[in-house]
Amino acid sequence: MTRDPNNADSQRHAPQQGQDVPADDQLVAYLDGELDDETARTIEERLSTDAGSRDHLGRLERTWDALDDLGRAEVDETFTQTTIEMVALAAEEDQQQEELRQPARQRRKWLIAAVGLLGFGLAGFATVRAVSTNPNEQLLEDLPVLQRLEEYQQIDDIEFLELLHQEKLFEPADE
Amino acid sequence: MLEVRDDNAAAFEELMVRYQGRVVTVLTHVVGNRDQAEDLAQDVFLRVYRARKRYVPGAKFSTWLYTIVNNVGLNALRSRARRPEVTLEGRESGPMGIRPLEAMAQAASGQMPARVVDKSEARDIVRLAVQTLNERQRMAVLLSKFEEMSYAEIAETMGLSTQAIKSLLSRARSNLREVLEPYFDQGQRPDFDDEETPTE
Repeated sequence: MTRDPNNADSQRHAPQQGQDVPADDQLVAYLDGELDDETARTIEERLSTDAGSRDHLGRLERTWDALDDLGRAEVDETFTQTTIEMVALAAEEDQQQEELRQPARQRRKWLIAAVGLLGFGLAGFATVRAVSTNPNEQLLEDLPVLQRLEEYQQIDDIEFLELLHQEKLFEPADE
Repeated sequence: MLEVRDDNAAAFEELMVRYQGRVVTVLTHVVGNRDQAEDLAQDVFLRVYRARKRYVPGAKFSTWLYTIVNNVGLNALRSRARRPEVTLEGRESGPMGIRPLEAMAQAASGQMPARVVDKSEARDIVRLAVQTLNERQRMAVLLSKFEEMSYAEIAETMGLSTQAIKSLLSRARSNLREVLEPYFDQGQRPDFDDEETPTE
């Protein structure tokens, strides 16, 4: 597509240089109702005093209205039917794919459940083992004392025994 | 759409009937070909069906729908741009020669400048003028014109900012004015032979 940059008509109808004319994006937004109230009022004030800007706005509006000539597409029953059939076919294929994936998915679920159960079991065992005390452990630890319990019961306190030990009264005799 | 999401087939059909004309209209002017537009529209509705479970209640359905339309349309244009074009030589098939439209325009321009514009010729000129816009300008114009979307809605549909849409539409309409004005003022038919696509 070629455009004539020296189109005298375009230059004549374009907003004059040096004037404070609204930019194209402001005029287009004004036509589309996209400006805030204050900005729209400013544009309207400008348009009321500047014939060049009004003309430019009119040309933008005319071009926009020309798009109405494009018309809207009419779609017949055949299109609707074929589209519905296409979607139904796709839905059926999706369903078949889903059913093929179902056994594998079921197996995966069972596997995850089994692993989870085992994991919980192990965790539970470790927890119980850590928390619970073995009554026999304590007895084993105290066994040396229990073996000489009758002798120890003759002593009043530990400090007296340590004193006797320091005096070395019970050292085995040298041969 | 919520009923479609819940697998109501009748609701899907009703939705389709309500929007199919509008979707085909936009796509026809995006790709410039009615047959291809219908194929693409079917693709759009198939995607709507497949994505139905992801539809969020409260979101405006038309914005969601035209996001898909935008995606499908622009992908089609890009695919076409990547394919080599085969230019068919025109052949004479009647008294008006190879390009009857041009012949008509030439004959018509020989009349008074303030001539009555033939409606069907004007429609063709406007259609070709829209095709001179780049893909994003074209989509923004079509959504604004045929779907009467606000800048914010178009921005959401196209994944751009509202300011970007404002600039896009301004450039697009300015470009259209430049192309169509000589035709409306003087009957000077634009030369669409050069594939010069304006930048944004």
